[in-house]
Amino acid sequence: MTIMERSGKTKMIKLAGIVVAGAIAGLLGYNLYISNAVSYLSEDSRTCINCHVMIPQYATWQHSSHARVAGCADCHVPQTNPVAKYVFKARDGFNHATAFTLRTEPQVITAREEARKVIMENCKRCHSRANEGVGLMSRNYDDVKKHNGRACWDCHREVPHGRVKGLGTTPHALVVGPGTGNRQ
Amino acid sequence: MKKNQTTGKIRYRLWIPLFVLSGVAIFMLAWLAASITERKVETRYLDRPRIDIPPAEPNSDIWGKNYPNQYDTWKATADTSFYSKYNGNGNIDMLQRYPALVILWAGYGFAKDYNQSKGHFYSISDVVRSLRTGAPSSRQDGPMPSTCWACKGTNVVQEMNRVGTREFYAGKWARLAGKQTNPIGCADCHDEKTMELKLTRPALTEALVRMGRDTSAITWQEKRSLVCAQCHSEYYFDKNRPDAEGVAYLTFPWDKGLSAEKMLAYYDETGHVDWQHKLSRAPMLKAQHPGYELYTQGIHARRGVSCADCHMPYRSYGGVKFTDHKIQSPLNNIANSCTVCHRESEQELTANVYSNMDKVIEARSILEHLLVKLHIEAGFAWSIGATKQQMEDILQGIRHAQWYWDYAAASHGGAFHAPVEALRLIGKGIDIAQESRIRLSRLLAGLGHSGEVPMPDISTKEKAQAYIGLDMDVLRQEKQRFLQEVLPAWLEERP
Repeated sequence: MTIMERSGKTKMIKLAGIVVAGAIAGLLGYNLYISNAVSYLSEDSRTCINCHVMIPQYATWQHSSHARVAGCADCHVPQTNPVAKYVFKARDGFNHATAFTLRTEPQVITAREEARKVIMENCKRCHSRANEGVGLMSRNYDDVKKHNGRACWDCHREVPHGRVKGLGTTPHALVVGPGTGNRQ
Repeated sequence: MKKNQTTGKIRYRLWIPLFVLSGVAIFMLAWLAASITERKVETRYLDRPRIDIPPAEPNSDIWGKNYPNQYDTWKATADTSFYSKYNGNGNIDMLQRYPALVILWAGYGFAKDYNQSKGHFYSISDVVRSLRTGAPSSRQDGPMPSTCWACKGTNVVQEMNRVGTREFYAGKWARLAGKQTNPIGCADCHDEKTMELKLTRPALTEALVRMGRDTSAITWQEKRSLVCAQCHSEYYFDKNRPDAEGVAYLTFPWDKGLSAEKMLAYYDETGHVDWQHKLSRAPMLKAQHPGYELYTQGIHARRGVSCADCHMPYRSYGGVKFTDHKIQSPLNNIANSCTVCHRESEQELTANVYSNMDKVIEARSILEHLLVKLHIEAGFAWSIGATKQQMEDILQGIRHAQWYWDYAAASHGGAFHAPVEALRLIGKGIDIAQESRIRLSRLLAGLGHSGEVPMPDISTKEKAQAYIGLDMDVLRQEKQRFLQEVLPAWLEERP
């Protein structure tokens, strides 16, 4: 049977189905566009201020000692191998997106346990030279959790986001990025 | 799915779930899209300036609506409760503390009235109340030119933009009295759109250009000192500019360099004289607060520490970190100003600072007393028949010695900013003063007087002012009349 011979209703349903599928695909695409989803595949630090709640962290980092040598991903994403990196980004990203959409971010955002582990490993990754001689390279965050030693930031408390933290602690930070309303 | 064999229709039982499913799917996606958009839009309202600030707005209250922390700390410059060992922000009558100053400035406005400068909050009220601005009876009357207003408040920026630099300087101080009502504030240092630091006073930018600086290449950290240098610098009124006849044009004597020697050379070359001394008739120079210049000679400047780093340190208040706009002596804020870098106790740091100050002031007092003697002895020489030719070198010596004294003394904080340089200058002043006194003794001996010159009792401000012939009662009464009768009327006038 040719298409012309099929009943009009079936054709209509097929058409409707294709249209709906197209609508859903379009909306999906629109969501990907306005959420700047592609940027999350990169390691550009400005990606992190797609969400304005990260502006205090971004601004304090920008004025810190690490501004020109380490971006957000250099500390907060595992840099050991690509699989670890992207698995972490996927999980972490999902958590971020959920919290931001459901507005469950706290007034003072602090790193979760998994994140702390990643950060400490990244501290050691760059600062190995300074720590080898004093035996600090053998420390990791699991030790810290067992009260067997200190985390890097227990002493280096201002690095890099400072001691005063909170959603409202950088009221006039001028940051340029997609989530900030300041168009480049 | 059951298909009717003859017509090929799909049972309606499927339509509803399919309809609902796709509806829900699209609804969820659209909801997600809306949520994303909403949260992006939030940034347009977060931490945005609440109002638009007009260009060069003189009223700092308006700027304060956008930046309450900076505004509140700026207003706190009204504080007059702090007294350090030698200064602070309180009311200090300098002539009462150091009556010798009356003699050193005899014939000049400073002998009438000299109060230690207070917080920026008082810039307008202090200049209006000072006896040095006199009691003008009309807009074209009075001892001071309109130029004096240039460092006194935010109305200056707007007015200069309106009429131009030269027109602003033209005329008498009385011309703008009552119109300059806003003390030093936001518009003096900041751009209203970006809050960037901005040099608003032409005297500084013109001086930098003459020194060959590219004013567009000034770094942010340099600006944290230069916005202060706009006013906390030595200046004079150039009345002989070809493009500004008869106008007291505010000029920084920096063309040869920033040191005391270079500025003195500039003044000697141009033949500038601030006033003729009443007792010694010496062609005197007044050094007005070379705070910036002397600071550049000190170790803190050398290490790249700017004015704002100590005088406007960062402050954390209510969980927010911002620049403390209560500009004051760091001795009143040691924790935030000093201990950021210097990890000694506050007592230790204070003791270190006072120790340097003690030494500078000890040397300064020596020079002050020498200068007093010099002026009085020179006056005595005139009285027993010295000629102009005989006195010329001595008078130059007085001019130079007092210049070095004033440069070190007037720099307000020179004993902290650059104690070694301050002591060096005072030492130089002592040398020149004593050399001049040696010449003077020879001259006096030649004129028949070989004993000591009688020194009057000038141990108090009142005695000193009486000695130099000032009728302080009249001056104060005239000032009171001005403040109570003339000024209120001028304040009422609309421009």
